[in-house]
Amino acid sequence: MGRLLAWLDLRTRYQTARHVLLDEEIPAGTGWVFTLGSVLLGLLSIQLLTGAFLTLYYAPTPDHAYESVRFIDSTAAGRIVRGLHHFGASFIVVFLVLHMLRVIVFGSYKPPRELTWLSGLALMGLVLGFALTGYLLPWDQRAYWATVVTINISKLAPGAGEFVAGVLQGGSTIGALTLTRWYSAHVIILPALLVSLIVGHLILMRLQGSSGPVRAKAGRPFPFYPYQAARDTVVVSVVLLAVLFFAWQGTPPLEGPADPTDANYIPRPEWYFLGLFQLLKYFPGKWEVVGAIIVPTLVGAVLALLPWIDRGPERDPRRRPLVMGLVSIGLIGVVALTTLGWRDRPVNADAGRWTMREIGGRAIAASGGCVKCHSDTGMADPLETLALSRGTEWIAGHATDPEMIAPGLREPPTVRSEREVAAIVAYVRRVSRQPYPGFDPQLETAARVWARYCVGCHVIEGDGGKDGPELTHAGSKHKPDELRLQITDPEAVNPAADMPSFSDRLSPEQLDAIVAYLAARK
Amino acid sequence: MPPTVDSHDQRAPGPEAQGRRRALAILVNTTVAIIGGAFSALLGVFAVRPARGAVRERWIRAATLGELTANVPVPRVLSVPRPDGWYKARARETVFLVWNGQREVKVFSATCSHLGCQVLWDGEGKRFRCPCHGGVYDAQGQVLDGPPPRPLTTLDAKVEGTDESVLVRV
Repeated sequence: MGRLLAWLDLRTRYQTARHVLLDEEIPAGTGWVFTLGSVLLGLLSIQLLTGAFLTLYYAPTPDHAYESVRFIDSTAAGRIVRGLHHFGASFIVVFLVLHMLRVIVFGSYKPPRELTWLSGLALMGLVLGFALTGYLLPWDQRAYWATVVTINISKLAPGAGEFVAGVLQGGSTIGALTLTRWYSAHVIILPALLVSLIVGHLILMRLQGSSGPVRAKAGRPFPFYPYQAARDTVVVSVVLLAVLFFAWQGTPPLEGPADPTDANYIPRPEWYFLGLFQLLKYFPGKWEVVGAIIVPTLVGAVLALLPWIDRGPERDPRRRPLVMGLVSIGLIGVVALTTLGWRDRPVNADAGRWTMREIGGRAIAASGGCVKCHSDTGMADPLETLALSRGTEWIAGHATDPEMIAPGLREPPTVRSEREVAAIVAYVRRVSRQPYPGFDPQLETAARVWARYCVGCHVIEGDGGKDGPELTHAGSKHKPDELRLQITDPEAVNPAADMPSFSDRLSPEQLDAIVAYLAARK
Repeated sequence: MPPTVDSHDQRAPGPEAQGRRRALAILVNTTVAIIGGAFSALLGVFAVRPARGAVRERWIRAATLGELTANVPVPRVLSVPRPDGWYKARARETVFLVWNGQREVKVFSATCSHLGCQVLWDGEGKRFRCPCHGGVYDAQGQVLDGPPPRPLTTLDAKVEGTDESVLVRV
């Protein structure tokens, strides 16, 4: 063994490399707080590894991005790898801030370490670039709409707004060209820059040596390995276990597929952008550029100039009131804005609730032609297992004329009304991301009547036509008998009524169901 | 000879310091090995075992008995889902349905067992002929002549329901 190692060392000089890498002298008194950089190195390695492997299954096109991500999530290993990548990103932001605070409090950016500091700031910018570009890739609703907001913000850049937005967007809309260029940035360009900058950051750090404690401690310097390396190992292990815990416990979020036509979706940024998101709210109208561009640029400029603002040799934070004051104010501001943004974040109301149109769509699909093919013995998968990521137009086209999508079908297309098609589309889109919970049969009957007839002219909870009165609270205004008469013989209630009579279109059970449903809406 | 790690510890040797040093080195090396091993295992599993997609056995309705003639192979093209990862591809597969006149149907794949060409039914000679290399099968799919090494593949089939649907397992 010894001879083999000697043979290897003579040819590779690995002992020299080992000495250079591991035997660095660390000043006495350097403690646990100096492990944060290693934590970042560990976390970034995890991102590079999991990211590289995620590309095995990810397809960066609007038609397939979403389904390929769902495909990754379909195995336990896939969920964990994507979870590590997703939650790891948040950990990086947290430890980036902690590492930076350590450097500021210990005055480690002071000469001769100004360039180490600047390269660190550049690394922070790169990490934010990763966060921004990676957010789009799953191509779900969150991804799409957050990107709409990002690109709109970039338009505020003074002078070059439209140009910057055009470069970010690639094509004329946010679509295939946006996805490929953000993908390219996320997996090729940014990682190449990141690795080079990390190498530069580490070389500078090693050239200048570790800054060590604020006041030199008595005692000899000690070698990095195994003393400081042991501290690094302990802290890095604990942090990686925490990321693994998150990846194990929670599936990384994936909402419904991106739908550019969905006007009701309210975009929410990732938590670490909530502070910026909140800041924008204080600068409405033409002042928006202040919150979006000017304030973040000023903060960045102050950070970059810190080694020149805080020039003296003093490193003790208690004797650097200006810098510590500035940083405290900045930190309090960021925490406060993030907290306010968190409490004020919009909630999408429809997250869990099925609309009457969606419930009715299920009954219409079941009684119509859909289940002839979409069944266990049919040519196509049952609707419940489709997990479709197609857009509204595609589903509507297929529901109206199945031959359009699947030529050569022997089943004649079932002609339907526009409203029935809309209900089927709503149902298919909902059931593709959430299993049907099951409802009371009478409610399902009422939903079918609602989706087939009422929804054309009446609104309930924001969904429906505007020609007739809103029925969200129909039950609090009308008794059941009045509702029944209104449906079967509108002219008996109001001789000038525009509403047609439905007495011969609804079966007694259907009439009972819709009256009971409306009467219960208080 | 490059300086070794021990150059530092020679200044403060002592058996206790040496023991501590060795224990820490073991801690670091073992932990790094465990983390590396765990991640290699996870990423390895992720890389070599992709999800199988939604592969499930299914019975597809190919015809009704009313559309068939006893003992005459009738071709049908089935659209068979072939899940390919996240990609929902469908394959068109030709099968021959042979009805025995009762409630039983035999289903043959039209794919020749030799090199995968599509066989055709020769109504006059009452045999399947492969256009590529002259393989010949009888109406039961058994090889009569030519290079095919095996009979035509038989697919499971059953007749079900009041309309006497022929279901084929794909």
